[in-house]
Amino acid sequence: MALPQRKTDIGPPHFEQFLPPVIKKNYGKWKYHEVLSHNTMVHVAESGDKLWTVRVASPRILSTDTIREHCDIAEKYCGGYLRYTTRNNAEFLVSDEKQLEPLKKDLASRGFKMGGIGYGITNVVHTQGWVHCHSAATDASGLVKAMMDELFEYFESKSLPNKVRLAVACCVNMCGAVHCSDIAVVAVHTKVPTVKHDLFKNMCELPTVIGSCPTRAISPDPANKSVKINPDKCMYCGNCFTVCPPISIKDPERDGVAIVVGGKINSLRSNPKFSKLVIPYISNEPPRWPKVVAAIKHIVEVYAANARKHERMGEWIERIGWERFFSLTGIDFTFQSIDDFTFMRDTMRTASTFKW
Amino acid sequence: METAELQDKIFAFVEAAKGKKKLKEKDIIKGVSAEQNVPGDDVKKAMRAMIDVGRLMYSYGGGASSVEIPSEEYLREKGLIK
Amino acid sequence: MKKYNTPLIDQLEKGPWPSFVTEMKKAGKTNEMANDAVGHLEKCYTTKMGYWKHGGIVGVLGYGGGVIGRYSEIGDEFPGVAHFHTVRLNQPSGFFYTSKALREICDIWDKYGSGLTNVHGSTGDLVLLGTKTDALEAIFAEYSSRGWDLGSSGSALRTPSCCVGPGRCEWTMYDTLGLNYALTQEFQDEMHRPTFSYKFKIKSSGCACDCVASIARADMSIIGTWKGDIQIDQNEVKNYASKMNINAEIINMCPTQCMSYDGKELKINNAECSRCMHCIAKMTKALKPGKERGATICIGSKAPIVVGSLLSWVIVPFIKIEEPYTEVKELIRKIWDWWDENAKPRERIGEVIEMKGMRSFLEAIGVPPMPQQIKEPRKDPFMFYTEDDIASYKAKEAEEKKTGKYKF
Repeated sequence: MALPQRKTDIGPPHFEQFLPPVIKKNYGKWKYHEVLSHNTMVHVAESGDKLWTVRVASPRILSTDTIREHCDIAEKYCGGYLRYTTRNNAEFLVSDEKQLEPLKKDLASRGFKMGGIGYGITNVVHTQGWVHCHSAATDASGLVKAMMDELFEYFESKSLPNKVRLAVACCVNMCGAVHCSDIAVVAVHTKVPTVKHDLFKNMCELPTVIGSCPTRAISPDPANKSVKINPDKCMYCGNCFTVCPPISIKDPERDGVAIVVGGKINSLRSNPKFSKLVIPYISNEPPRWPKVVAAIKHIVEVYAANARKHERMGEWIERIGWERFFSLTGIDFTFQSIDDFTFMRDTMRTASTFKW
Repeated sequence: METAELQDKIFAFVEAAKGKKKLKEKDIIKGVSAEQNVPGDDVKKAMRAMIDVGRLMYSYGGGASSVEIPSEEYLREKGLIK
Repeated sequence: MKKYNTPLIDQLEKGPWPSFVTEMKKAGKTNEMANDAVGHLEKCYTTKMGYWKHGGIVGVLGYGGGVIGRYSEIGDEFPGVAHFHTVRLNQPSGFFYTSKALREICDIWDKYGSGLTNVHGSTGDLVLLGTKTDALEAIFAEYSSRGWDLGSSGSALRTPSCCVGPGRCEWTMYDTLGLNYALTQEFQDEMHRPTFSYKFKIKSSGCACDCVASIARADMSIIGTWKGDIQIDQNEVKNYASKMNINAEIINMCPTQCMSYDGKELKINNAECSRCMHCIAKMTKALKPGKERGATICIGSKAPIVVGSLLSWVIVPFIKIEEPYTEVKELIRKIWDWWDENAKPRERIGEVIEMKGMRSFLEAIGVPPMPQQIKEPRKDPFMFYTEDDIASYKAKEAEEKKTGKYKF
């Protein structure tokens, strides 16, 4: 069968054709919204029109079968319209309140999980992991599944002092904004990479490889027409592997994950912040990473018990001090939590006013 | 300069770097423009026409994009040679 | 079709959270590629290692991005994933779809690919996971003839994305969906034909809540804000007073302490408000942003590679965002011109600004220095003076001598 004629540079379809009529009518004229439960909110327009949103969890990796099931639901209750969120949830929008309960009933009967709105834990921003990435030091989807199974009550119904944004990055490249999350898991390498010298000269550019190293650990190795890596300087970031495939950094027994906490994106009350390292290393334990999951749940519970209403993780920690965070959580403080890369000046304490 | 002639110059420029340096589109525009004393926009346009028909191609490796001479395998896959 | 024994990843089908393994198996029932992807993943879980090679040279004729080459090192064992390339489809602004459009996307994908997707990928594209090299031209013809173009990858403008904005949010300070669409269309060439030193991301958020995380992961973050007084509905304030402790939850949490509430009336000293959105977000019926609306433009954020993460820096404190968005488009071109001139390979714009200095950048794009751009002034006395700087300071002093009045 002949293929249709390709077109280049057309860009995406205009979004307007995908907006439900109630949105087209009230575009830019929304007055307020109310969170009705962990799974439903209502937006009210200046015209008085109302739009209910029901949020549904997604594993981000979706089969076409599941997308079609989303479509079936959208056709049955939402005039065939639906949307997804930045954090990979699906959202079903209804403008007729009578459709709301039947929609939710149907979603529940099909096994879809509703929630993620308001002060709890919503879907986890994450990367491709072993499912589809060449530089993954762990599997992001598996970690997310294991974490969210354990924290599910905070998605579905249980409230926290504020939202807790979780993220997983399967290497330090961190595609997605994991470095500004309330709690993020970042997979790390812990060993100096090895170089396949015989392949180097055909596959890699020497200056590019030397320039790729943030700690200047790489120098020429003229005898091998390759490079050598200084083990005293290497911080295992893997950037040399990115620019030069014959450099190998994967090591199944040594790759693991670190946990960083206290970041945020929005400017509410306090400015956006990076997440900071609190647990330097936990071994990869597929398929369910029990120690990682336990650590995250523990941090969430300590936050829930101690933070004031509306305080995000990072705001709570800044109020009580990091030394108090470590004592409250009982997490061991290690050398890895002291910055010896680019932020030491900004992060060391310069006063004697700390807590015991 | 006629487009066809400029395209030959561009091709020669890319060929000369083959195996030595991965050229970014910008390197070629700047290099050929200086070498042949023609405006960069002309080089860009001529090069784009070459990429559109598979005389040159975009490549990706080492975390960055570059422009290269297509392999036979690429041309065969695109149906440009048998 | 080969049946794989997958005891490890089977454990990820248990528990309440929806399972990606179930999704993979669903697709694998009828699709050889997805089926092998299941077996391949089980192997990763067994050995605790990934088996994907670096991306290779794949794409559609004429484009330099939109397809990520992916090959398995163990393709002999799992032939269905020997080639398993990713196709990025440029999502519509705000991730809105009709079921008809999604069904069409799914039908084409089932015909040529694994039936597996990411809805959506980190950058915002609708990601189609896993196809073979010889299917790429057909995939592109099928999608583009129906109005769907590829997204971006490589050293190019990455697929722009935005928050839901005026589609369903009362706080948006400009039309994020409209701007996002307009920028995507304006810069098609820069998206599909990688001409930059490295990637460049643009993300548009309607307010300081920043629902697309633009401040942390966009080379250019366009964040809605306003000038003028917050609009107060005192009757609604009274309603909130019956449901919440306004002093504890709003007044005392205001970072600039510019508000007061005496049990009757809420007052805001708007000149001291830094527009953080806390009070508006918590009392959405009672408080609304001011009427003069636009955006703050910040530049430079990125993830840790190479020399540490950056958050975007404020460059233009306030800019109107109105159709046809000429001012923003011109600013973007000026930013790219400077970056192009100064970047080494694989340098993001934030890194180049650090190397070359903020002054060089601001002068090139024609933005004056303003205290809104900084948290605090420099702490060291090592600074550059141009001849012109000194001449202008001297001229100012000469003027002061004449008038007898200091102007600092």
